[in-house]
Amino acid sequence: MSGAAAPAQQMTGSNRYMLLILLVPGLLALMTTFLLPMVWLARASFSTSSMSAFGGGVTLEHYHAALTDPFYWKVAMNTLSLGVTVSFFAVILSYPIALFLTRSTSRWRGVLTALAVAPLLTSAVVRTYGWMVILGDRGVINSTLQSLSLTTDPVRLSNNTFGATVALVEILMPYAILAMLAGFGRLNPQLEEAASMLGASKLRVFWRIILPLSLPGILTGALLVFVLAISAFVTPRLMGGGRVFVLGTEVFQEATVTLNWPLAAALSVVLLALFSSVIVIYQRALRRLEA
Amino acid sequence: MSEHHVVVENLVKTYPGAATPSVDHVSFALPKGEMLALLGPSGCGKTTILRMIAGLIEPTSGAIQLNGREISQTPVHKRNMGMVFQAYALFPHMTVAGNVAFGLEMRGVPNSERGPKVQRALDMVKLGHLGDRRVTQLSGGQQQRCAIARSLVIEPELLLLDEPLSNLDAKLRDEMRDEIREIQSRTGVTAIFVTHDQDEALSMADRLAVMSAGRIEQIGTPREIFDAPANEFVAGFIGAGNFLSGRVTAPGQAEIEGLGPLRFAAPASVGSRVQLMVRPHRFKLAAPGPNAFTGQVESLVYRGQILTLAITVGGRRLTADLHTHAGTLPAKGDTVTLAVAPGDVTFLSEAAA
Repeated sequence: MSGAAAPAQQMTGSNRYMLLILLVPGLLALMTTFLLPMVWLARASFSTSSMSAFGGGVTLEHYHAALTDPFYWKVAMNTLSLGVTVSFFAVILSYPIALFLTRSTSRWRGVLTALAVAPLLTSAVVRTYGWMVILGDRGVINSTLQSLSLTTDPVRLSNNTFGATVALVEILMPYAILAMLAGFGRLNPQLEEAASMLGASKLRVFWRIILPLSLPGILTGALLVFVLAISAFVTPRLMGGGRVFVLGTEVFQEATVTLNWPLAAALSVVLLALFSSVIVIYQRALRRLEA
Repeated sequence: MSEHHVVVENLVKTYPGAATPSVDHVSFALPKGEMLALLGPSGCGKTTILRMIAGLIEPTSGAIQLNGREISQTPVHKRNMGMVFQAYALFPHMTVAGNVAFGLEMRGVPNSERGPKVQRALDMVKLGHLGDRRVTQLSGGQQQRCAIARSLVIEPELLLLDEPLSNLDAKLRDEMRDEIREIQSRTGVTAIFVTHDQDEALSMADRLAVMSAGRIEQIGTPREIFDAPANEFVAGFIGAGNFLSGRVTAPGQAEIEGLGPLRFAAPASVGSRVQLMVRPHRFKLAAPGPNAFTGQVESLVYRGQILTLAITVGGRRLTADLHTHAGTLPAKGDTVTLAVAPGDVTFLSEAAA
């Protein structure tokens, strides 16, 4: 901490102005696109008028509604469990890929890395539709099963939490891979060599050296996927077929269907508060791990 | 079965796609407790040899024996060798003691015996009080010591050191050089180390193998290598030298182009061409006479105990290292005479004319 503060103290007055000038465009952009809407959202959540944020009086009734209705508690639990499941599987599936890409010395490594994150080039909506084609009642899997006479009725693979989970895992895997690649900085083939020289078998090298050193990357990847999964709206909505209730879909429902903006805003604030605290706790744990 | 502790025979490593082998039929043998330096310019294959002995690289062909047992098929983690890596390769997520204990843990040494062993190893490298530190909090020299303790605590059959001093600053390097030597002779462990630094090799090793282009050019004690280099490459790589070629005109005398006659103490047949060398420190200031060359001082470098000067004689440069206690020192532009005793002329090679 003190090491990072030292250069700032040596900064001369003109340097500090220069820094401020460089920061202004970015700060302005953040103010208008992030901070102002947040203020608007917070104000709207206390509003007595259903369609305008700043009109009407101030009330706590929407928070009361959001926090006392057992339905919203169930939605919050659904969201949390979807986030945990998706990040668990996305991490399990991405870890070997990221590890391979980090350790590979092949000249194709750059190409392979690009391929691993190439799905990011298509939008999540398009990929969700892709999963609907695969997992739908008349989709690739079900029509294959039926043409082989293995099943008579379609197996329920979509329009439920399973479908939403599968699609989210695949859609979020590139993020997990990228986060892990960035977090694997401490991995070093020489450490593995040193461990085997000291008598560690391949398996023990993995458990005692590779896994502990890649843990920060794994945890960063898991956090990123978790955040993206709990705030996801399009995929749970489309793959859930209206049967999967998570906070993202409920906020959308209140804002566009029921047209209850203050309640939608209150739900958003609750979502924000809930999951920011998760992130803060998580990052604190992560920092302790890296120290 | 040989009496040697480590035997390397006809070791070859050719990397896929490479036209020439990186290590080309290298053989040497090492008695127990000896320290061997593999010395050579970068890319000469010295590190490849070390890594093949360690088991980190598979040899293309050849044999490696330890204690009379063939080990080239033994996996790395069963070879029981200690290795000190150039960048130390300490485990950043463990404490100093944790690093040292790792090898014992892998060997299934019970917890109760591990503690005292780790402490003894840390005491040996003067890190006894730092066992609880994280390795990232250690200075360069301390990390080096930790790496040495970690490689020795397992009581290895053989200690391998890969450029162990190259990451340290000059002062620390001298200190660690003596310390490694001291620890090695105290523990009596057989050791092989790789270096490109001739001073390091000369001062630390019992014997050194000078390498170039995948081959061993000469193997011998520091004194043999320095005073009787086998060829021009070895002579040039270890220490500086004035290389003089000429024709033998009489037994023990050659006519050097541009310089005149030079007497030397080695048998060579009259009429053949010889390659001779004079180390700069073999020259002395003298009056003109036989085996003496007179010229103008072209450059001077004062280095405390030694004055390095270069004179030009007949269009040829001769360098000499003179002791600074030798009375009045010449200045630039002075005319001086450098003489060498015939016994101090190194004979390198002879070829029929």
